[in-house]
Amino acid sequence: MTITLAHYLAVSGIVFGIGVAIALSKRNVVAVLMGVELMLNASNLAFLAFSRFSGAFQPGTEPLAGHTFVVFVLTVAAAEAAVALAMAVLIYRRRETVDLDRISVLRW
Amino acid sequence: MFLGDIPEAAVWAIYFAPMVSFAIIAGALLLRVPQFQDQHASNLTIGAIGISWLLALWALDTSIGADGERVGFDSHLWMELFELRIEFGVTLDSLSALMMFVVTSVSLLVQIYSTGYMHGDTGYRRYFMHMSLFTVAMLGLVMASSLLQLFIHWELVGLTSYLLVGFWFDKPSAAAAAKKAFIVTRFGDFFFMIAVVLIWTKTGGVFDIAEINAIAEHHELSDSVLTGFVLGIFAGAVGKSAQFPLHFWLPDAMEGPTPVSSLLHSATMVAAGVYLLGRFFPAVEASPDGVHTTIAYVGGFTAILAASMGIVANDIKRVLAYSTISQLGYMVMVIGLGGFVAAIFHLFTHAFFKSLLFQGSGSVNHATGTFDMRLMGGLWKVMPITFWTFLIGALSLSGFPGFAGFWSKDEILLDAWKYDKFLFVIGVIVAFMTAFYMFRVIIMTFVGEYRGGEESEHGGHGPPHESPRSMTTPLIILAVPSVLFGFFALNGFGTFLEGSLPEEIRHFEFKLEPVVVACSVSAALGGIGAAWAVYFFRQPAPEQLGKAAGPLYTVAADKFYVDEIAEDGVVRGALDRVLGPAAAAFDKYVVDGVVTGAALAARQVGDMARRLETGQLQAYTSMSMLGVVVAVAVIFVLSGNVLER
Repeated sequence: MTITLAHYLAVSGIVFGIGVAIALSKRNVVAVLMGVELMLNASNLAFLAFSRFSGAFQPGTEPLAGHTFVVFVLTVAAAEAAVALAMAVLIYRRRETVDLDRISVLRW
Repeated sequence: MFLGDIPEAAVWAIYFAPMVSFAIIAGALLLRVPQFQDQHASNLTIGAIGISWLLALWALDTSIGADGERVGFDSHLWMELFELRIEFGVTLDSLSALMMFVVTSVSLLVQIYSTGYMHGDTGYRRYFMHMSLFTVAMLGLVMASSLLQLFIHWELVGLTSYLLVGFWFDKPSAAAAAKKAFIVTRFGDFFFMIAVVLIWTKTGGVFDIAEINAIAEHHELSDSVLTGFVLGIFAGAVGKSAQFPLHFWLPDAMEGPTPVSSLLHSATMVAAGVYLLGRFFPAVEASPDGVHTTIAYVGGFTAILAASMGIVANDIKRVLAYSTISQLGYMVMVIGLGGFVAAIFHLFTHAFFKSLLFQGSGSVNHATGTFDMRLMGGLWKVMPITFWTFLIGALSLSGFPGFAGFWSKDEILLDAWKYDKFLFVIGVIVAFMTAFYMFRVIIMTFVGEYRGGEESEHGGHGPPHESPRSMTTPLIILAVPSVLFGFFALNGFGTFLEGSLPEEIRHFEFKLEPVVVACSVSAALGGIGAAWAVYFFRQPAPEQLGKAAGPLYTVAADKFYVDEIAEDGVVRGALDRVLGPAAAAFDKYVVDGVVTGAALAARQVGDMARRLETGQLQAYTSMSMLGVVVAVAVIFVLSGNVLER
């Protein structure tokens, strides 16, 4: 069985779905952040797959647009993780909880 | 005739000379130039109007040379807005030349008189500023070649009337009278404005007065449009010329300084309504008969109504005001009967002798400190110049044979005799009443014993004395036309005046109908005699006469309750109770309702939307995810399966 674009996208979609489910259902901030990481990586996978299977592909002239995006996403994800974890720590220090349901100060 | 033809620029200069003096005085007052003294303002005004007067003489001379036909001047584009072209120009024909002459000469004499009458008044410079502006407006009104130009000056005249009636605005009665004068005339002007819009829409943008007259004359407008137009300008004339039922502002306008009454409210401004009907006389002639009859009967009714109130008034200026209304009623009546020449001729002579009478009343007021005739008497000994000139004016107004008023009143009665015998009878009765109330004034004011005048604010007024020369000179000058100008009737005045009309509707011929002359003379002499009998010999005494007349006297003394109907009925009743609350409700619920409603709606939508802001991070994320799903679904539906392509 050859592995086609659809397979990659299926995996990417499944991982993304898992990420969304975690991000939406977990109460713990850290777990939610992990869900977000899954979503980011799922999109990375989709990028790479499209890059590999795009119609313009010729050996030696492989377009690097998808790869470039992936590098950017990784960088941003790292930065985001650093900032978000730092915030989580600060929130915990102040409120003694990381339960998202209880962190709802910015409301009407 | 004697001089060359007047160039167009010189005609414009008649108009702009007083405007320059107005602008200079206004500028000096606004900038508070300390060197600008009282006499500068009056000298400037008199000088400017003097220039206008000389040029108006030249214009009149040119017009006589042209047999009264219109002297062709181009009109000038004032503004252009899509298809709407508004042009301004000057009309020079017998009618406008005559009016320019009347306005400038009366205005000039009134200004000279004012230097004496207004001497020492704190508002002296402001007074002359307004007087200059009035002269500008009135001249612009009579020389306008476009309906719109005429309308603008018509309103400007109304404005200056307001400013001058309310000149002593710290007096509540004057402020109220000014408002009344303005609003009541505005009521008529509203219909005039409708007429302007009507003619504009129905002719496709023709504003030129001569063209409108030509269109109307050739029946290129439907009868209903023409009726609407003529009744519209007639309503404007009713307001401005104080005809029933809008006559009641004029007596109150006597609150203004007497020279103002002399210029605006007797000679020129109130005659503007008659002038307007004269200017559109071909259109009036072409309108259906019902319109003529309406105009004639409104005029006739006003004439007799006002004369009856003039008989019972005790304030000398009010008597003259009612007399003015009554004489204007004559003019309107005869215009309705088709007597263009008679109306304008009476306007012409009336301007001079009525201005003279008003100035005489001002001179009397100067001496006695009051306008109440019951406090006067015997003044002929101490004020000979005022007395003799006033007598000339009164004789002229009464239609004493040979005086100016006799000739013009005779023309009016002749036209009434020819076209409507009922109005002729009214006219003769009014002539009798006119002579009666004028000699009532003469006897109460100048004959008998002095009854003390009125204590002024500074204690006693002292014995009455003749007015200064600045006031008596205009009286003497005005006495001349009050006697002589009637004789123009014998010298082709009518033919000259009809030069401004299209040839088809000229029908004037001068003749003296013995029946008419007999009626008119006996009415005048009878009125004079009756006044002497009642007020001098007291056979019967006026009190008995008043008692004999019973309710009629009371009703006339109470001005036929027109003021009450207008103020209590229309203003306080209809306006304050119905229209005012209705307008307030409309403003509150509809206009404000839209505004507050919009604000309320925005507020409630916001209130609903803000419930979405729960602060729950995962709720936001869910919504965002839902949005993505919906967006993707929409893209799929709209463009088919993306993956298949």
